[in-house]
Amino acid sequence: MTPEERDGLAAEYVLGTLEAREAAELRRRMETDAELAAAVAGWERRLAPLLALAPPEAPPPDLWARIERSLGGIAAPARTGWRFPWPALGIGASAVAAGLAAFLVLRPPPQAPLMTVLLTSRDQPAWLVEAQGDTIRLAALNQRPVEPGRVAQLWALPQGATAPTSLGLVPEGGRFSVTPTTLRPTPGMLIEITLEPPGGSPTGRPTGPILFIGRLSAAGGA
Amino acid sequence: MSDAATLLSRIAGGDRAALQSLYKAQSVRLFGVAMAILRDRDAAADALHDGFVNIARRAGQFDPALGAAEAWTGAVIRHAALDIARRRGREMPTDDATLGDTPVEATQLDAIAAGEEGVRLRSCLEQLPEKNRKGILLAFVDGLSHPQIAARLELPLGTVKAWIRRGLLTLRECLA
Repeated sequence: MTPEERDGLAAEYVLGTLEAREAAELRRRMETDAELAAAVAGWERRLAPLLALAPPEAPPPDLWARIERSLGGIAAPARTGWRFPWPALGIGASAVAAGLAAFLVLRPPPQAPLMTVLLTSRDQPAWLVEAQGDTIRLAALNQRPVEPGRVAQLWALPQGATAPTSLGLVPEGGRFSVTPTTLRPTPGMLIEITLEPPGGSPTGRPTGPILFIGRLSAAGGA
Repeated sequence: MSDAATLLSRIAGGDRAALQSLYKAQSVRLFGVAMAILRDRDAAADALHDGFVNIARRAGQFDPALGAAEAWTGAVIRHAALDIARRRGREMPTDDATLGDTPVEATQLDAIAAGEEGVRLRSCLEQLPEKNRKGILLAFVDGLSHPQIAARLELPLGTVKAWIRRGLLTLRECLA
């Protein structure tokens, strides 16, 4: 294969136009062909600014938990050679301890509970919202069915953010709780429920009318 | 090193908290990348899942000398999304606007990332004939296959393949 052919193949792989079989074959070859791997890396770098053309969109709120479940059985990535021979020296356990310590240090300090009442467009109280730590709990004060063929979707808008993040669909029944993975309840955060098509907003942004809205603040004060 | 590059080096050491920090910082951007290709939230969620599992496994392969961490994570998610698109039969055109299946139509070059590399790429793309440029954007951003791009641009398949190849060659010379 000439360098031109190799570079053309790398470019089409990065562009995404290779078919499944061709893409799989190229990945296999990249493992042993350093020049091909370098050509692919070059095209990834050249075209990377195009990634910004995709409009950002919040993923489903439960996705991080799913990723963590999948990684449950995967230990630290296998290392080849002797780059990190620590376990052989008996430092493995202390490395785990250090990781745990880092995890504990990195956890934000416990926070006073936050709350708000979501009001209807006519200022009628509809939902009691309490947030403690990472979890937001909602309890209906005046349960009303959602319009047939539509669903209610919960959103959070941190102060200073330009677009709300979906916290998922509001389930049937008067009580539920969510633990967002991409944001943390903070004072001043807007919580709102909008009316959306089945399955929730197709765009990742609210598309229907706001049914209920309120702003979190410290419980029992402010 | 950027924050994300530091996180990747910690992830390579098996640091799950670093992976979660990376997820918090980049999942909205990366889910957008997957949505542009798959146009379906469930499928895009699968792509983000597969991509982050790959990031956890392969973070040690990230080399800051070869590019930015954001470009590397973007590539991992894109390829996870493209794999899903290929599995579900991308060669069947499904560009029915009434199904909300319209591509992002990434002809808006204004949104290309700022910074030196973005500015250069944009200027090089602007020098390409429109259909070469459109073909490249429809493939990279919207994840369309050669036959889908041919249908969209109303050109014969062979012409589209040749124009994209020529566009890539011109881009490489322009960026060299």
